[in-house]
Amino acid sequence: MRVKSTLVLFPILCLILLLAPILLGLVSTWLPAFGYMPVIGATHFSLSYFNALFQHPAFTASVTSTLVSGIGATVLSLALAFWVIMHLYGTRSWAFLQKSLSPLLAMPHAAFAIGIALLISPSGWLLRIISPDITGFDSPPDWLILKDPKGYSLLFVLVLKETPFLILMILSALNQIKFRETFWVGSSLGYSSIRIWSRLVIPQLMPKLRLPILAVAAYSLSVVDISLIVGPSAPPTFAVLINRWFNDPDVSMRLLGSAGAVVLFLIVALVLLSILIIEQLLAKTTASNLVNGSRRSIISTLRPLAYGLNYSLSIIGIVCLAVLIIWSFTQVWRFPDALPSAYSLKYWAKSWPNLVDLSITSVTIALASTLISAIIVVGCLEFEVWAKRNGQSINHQRVLLLNYLPLLIPQIAFIFGVQVLLLWAHVEGTWFSMVWSHLIFVLPYVFLTLSGVYRGYDQRFYDVALTLSGSKWKSFYQIKLPMLLKPLLYSTAIGCSVSLAQYLPTLFAGAGRFSTVTTETVNLASGSDRRVMAVYALWQFAIPLIIFALAIGLPNRIFKDRVAMKS
Amino acid sequence: MKKTALSILSASALTLALAACSDSPDSKDIEISQELTWDEIVDKAKGQKVYFNAWGGSETINDYISWAAERVKEDYGVEVEQVKVTETGNVVSRILAEKTAGRNEDGSVDLVWINGENFKAMKENELLAQPYTQLLPNYELVDTEGKPTTVFDFTTPVDNMEAPWGMAQLVFMFDSAKVPQAPGSITELMKFAADNPGRVTYPAPPSFHGTTFIKQALLELADDASALYQPVDESDFEMVSKPLWDFLDQLHPTMWRGGEAFTQGADEMKQLLNDGEILISLSFNPNDASNAIANQELPDTVRTYVHNSGTIGNTHFVAIPYNSSAKAGAMVFSNFLMSAEAQARKANPEVWGDPTVLAYNKLDSKGKALFDDLPIGVATLSADALGTVLREPHTSWVAALENEWQKRYLK
Amino acid sequence: MSLLINHLKISINGKSLFPEVHMEITKGNIQTLMGPSGCGKSTILAAISGTLSTNFSIAGEIFLDDLPLMNLPTEERQVGILFQDDLLFPHFNVCQNLMFALPQNISKKVKLSRIFQALESAGLQGFDKRDIATLSGGQRARISMLRALLAEPKAILLDEPFSKLDAELKLSFREFVFNKIKEMNIPALLVSHDRADCYGDQYFDLQTGQFKQC
Repeated sequence: MRVKSTLVLFPILCLILLLAPILLGLVSTWLPAFGYMPVIGATHFSLSYFNALFQHPAFTASVTSTLVSGIGATVLSLALAFWVIMHLYGTRSWAFLQKSLSPLLAMPHAAFAIGIALLISPSGWLLRIISPDITGFDSPPDWLILKDPKGYSLLFVLVLKETPFLILMILSALNQIKFRETFWVGSSLGYSSIRIWSRLVIPQLMPKLRLPILAVAAYSLSVVDISLIVGPSAPPTFAVLINRWFNDPDVSMRLLGSAGAVVLFLIVALVLLSILIIEQLLAKTTASNLVNGSRRSIISTLRPLAYGLNYSLSIIGIVCLAVLIIWSFTQVWRFPDALPSAYSLKYWAKSWPNLVDLSITSVTIALASTLISAIIVVGCLEFEVWAKRNGQSINHQRVLLLNYLPLLIPQIAFIFGVQVLLLWAHVEGTWFSMVWSHLIFVLPYVFLTLSGVYRGYDQRFYDVALTLSGSKWKSFYQIKLPMLLKPLLYSTAIGCSVSLAQYLPTLFAGAGRFSTVTTETVNLASGSDRRVMAVYALWQFAIPLIIFALAIGLPNRIFKDRVAMKS
Repeated sequence: MKKTALSILSASALTLALAACSDSPDSKDIEISQELTWDEIVDKAKGQKVYFNAWGGSETINDYISWAAERVKEDYGVEVEQVKVTETGNVVSRILAEKTAGRNEDGSVDLVWINGENFKAMKENELLAQPYTQLLPNYELVDTEGKPTTVFDFTTPVDNMEAPWGMAQLVFMFDSAKVPQAPGSITELMKFAADNPGRVTYPAPPSFHGTTFIKQALLELADDASALYQPVDESDFEMVSKPLWDFLDQLHPTMWRGGEAFTQGADEMKQLLNDGEILISLSFNPNDASNAIANQELPDTVRTYVHNSGTIGNTHFVAIPYNSSAKAGAMVFSNFLMSAEAQARKANPEVWGDPTVLAYNKLDSKGKALFDDLPIGVATLSADALGTVLREPHTSWVAALENEWQKRYLK
Repeated sequence: MSLLINHLKISINGKSLFPEVHMEITKGNIQTLMGPSGCGKSTILAAISGTLSTNFSIAGEIFLDDLPLMNLPTEERQVGILFQDDLLFPHFNVCQNLMFALPQNISKKVKLSRIFQALESAGLQGFDKRDIATLSGGQRARISMLRALLAEPKAILLDEPFSKLDAELKLSFREFVFNKIKEMNIPALLVSHDRADCYGDQYFDLQTGQFKQC
């Protein structure tokens, strides 16, 4: 039997590209945590940095706000996502939700957080609109809305951002089960739709949603950029605190930072583990309830709330965008004016040359990391096809887990170690290190968005093409790839938007020589000029939108006469 | 099959390694030594690329740096690229990481905007290039006598290892349309806060402005301020700092957000002042208010004031890391930043408004004329009105105060 | 020219799927292979075309004109297949679908003339620019067959190609396919579970491993 041996390179490459930086990065973060960092004279292994960490005045408060916002955001966004889908699936608002999902997801976290801040802070647009007529406020009220010490505002922003993601994940899980049939059977037995969901559908969905939920939890517990913008300030969340220590002028703080990174890693691991245990417990304890025969639920009466929620997600997104647009064209806008008193194009004009430079860097990195990812992912999936035909079984669950790994381990827990390694290899601050560091996070998303469709491809088309053309290569790039062009471009767009939104990897691997639209936007978010901030945030939003528009528009253009390619 | 895979992998690894090697500089840089002449430096600098790592949070300052970069390109053929950083601490940690990794040449940073703690950290960890400012012609013009902070950076001796770039002094800002009389001291500020609940705040330490604020408060409140100029472990920290904590304990309940949340820095304070959310803001740049008014970031009724007994002042510098690969270019750029042309432009409130480090009387007539022609901002205090400049306390107090503050006020 | 299936046995996990198959199909002949669903009809076709998973172990040999096929990759076997789905490439129009089957080394002019000729022979003249999504089931089926034949295979495998068509269409398409195979003068193996598809006097019953009368 002849063997297509070269394809095996792709999974190997994928394994190395993803695992090597994470594992080595973790190790070279852990060594300093235990007191080993020879360059600064630390050569004695000890636990004293953990002691120092637990004694640190900011430790308790920052871990508290981290847990509150992280766990809260996970639980709430999951609940909301189910809530919306359960009530709206199949109704007229459903189409609306599906349409609004993509732009909501494409909106970068930083831009979104800035928009929310400009909206709901005590001097935000909402209060400006109703002041002073309704509120009587001539100056902003002294309300603790944003940056509250417990992290509730961070929780709120995370929920708004993660709910659409989870809705999307639930949708794709629904496609994998026999949802329509389940529903049919359920209703014919007299169960209300809420009961069908809670008794028949959700138990089937949970195993498929496990990893996305864990990823949301890991992300929410360790996010840095959003937390800098709307999170607590004194002390900040734990991830921000660790980041600060890594950048402290006092070099011995690196050791404390490393200890923090280890503890954050453990905290996240513990929370993820608890989620898994709770899921099992819930499944066990509710198992008997599932068949108790109750057919109606009180929740059914709350349906209107779900409609409201559906629209408010989109409305918040749109209003966020609106407030960013207004601020970007503002010259003067004082509280409590509902709208600016003077407009200007000055801030766009002033920022434009810099935005162009930044965009070129950002898009180049995004395209490079995404294209490499796409090639590797396609290679891996082709390897699966080959392996299947050659009698080797692929453990899909394990493949999935590998791809989720970069999303389950907090970036800050290994990125410092990666920086040390890149320095050691003299490749820090090069295109090579930039692209690789982005690839770690881009590749999983490309894989997750592409693998379903790719595995579902009817391989008989390829077989027929083989018998017709006698060429593997021709059958692949003239038949299989074009037929998969649409999902391929969509995954590419997703990959690009993931790369464009990266903050920590750009900072740590870029040696500061690489500024992207995102790093610059987060920088400016701590500046004083809201007008410039709004210009950058809008542009940060615009780039992925343009890429998505291209990714969706291009195949439609190419296949404009091919009806079957449009569905 | 496996063998092929491995050989291809190792081949690609080799290519990568080669690519990394070819990245190293082709031209050699200079070694800094006392014997170097200015002409040699200028000669070597030509064609070098200088990565200038400077805080990039202000478009005004970024624009000024772009201008300076263009000027040295014209005059000396040196290319300067600003690497915009959020915190200078990041840069120090990166250079340290480079040293850790044994990257003793071709470092990623050629020049860094720096002072205080960061300078001290770099000096102590031997991350700085050899003393060099004495080799620069324009260093002669620096007012080292009248501005002692140009030779002592937060009490750390500068030892020619960083070139003075600009002066800073803590000033406060208020909106004269809303506040008739600004408080003249830290105790008056407390009264003001009590009269205007929720309208006063300060940035949380350990941010730069927050720490400066509590140092200012302690300098004003301490029974014997001279203890603050000694290393902290040589004095009774608890006793010396007690008046500060008593003061803050009283101040916080009357503050913005009830003292539960703090701002992150002067920039956020400026926004809040503009919104009318707070009544008093602070800055380390005496021209800040005028700039912000010109830029319509603040209402034109905002004015600057200082406390009667003086406020803390310091100097900010630029320094060359030990592993820079463009030291000559960095020296040429440092020299240009200290020229009358660059300093006068920087002092112009319409450009940046950062006070000069030069001595007026050391300038030639052309240089003096440049400064004579500078406009004076509407909200800028005269040199006289700025009053006494208080020196920064000994650097060791920073960590002690920050730590104690966090212990007391982070819940 | 003939397709020889020489004592072929296919098993998975040590279990044989069906009794030994032994047959020779001469050129221009169509051998029908019947059996209930799940007995391994398609598996035989996959073994002949070289698309069978190696989970299956194959004993016996397959020759096409004395050329042993077993160790050749699919693309070098020169065996065409027709499935019950037409599997027309949705991103190509009719002409492009047919063009894909033609060898690379002939001029475009010749290619087009052969395509037009083929379309005409199927009563589909003027359909070359059509999007395949706009065609009827019968038209698609015929184009699929034309495409398979334009590649000039040395044998053709038919995997229940008539089963998805409605009764009337089935008849005419079957006639079309059988005529085309005679015209091309190549051996064909037809898999079906419908007696009506039976060609010639006898069919091979996969369950018993016997030839039976139609």
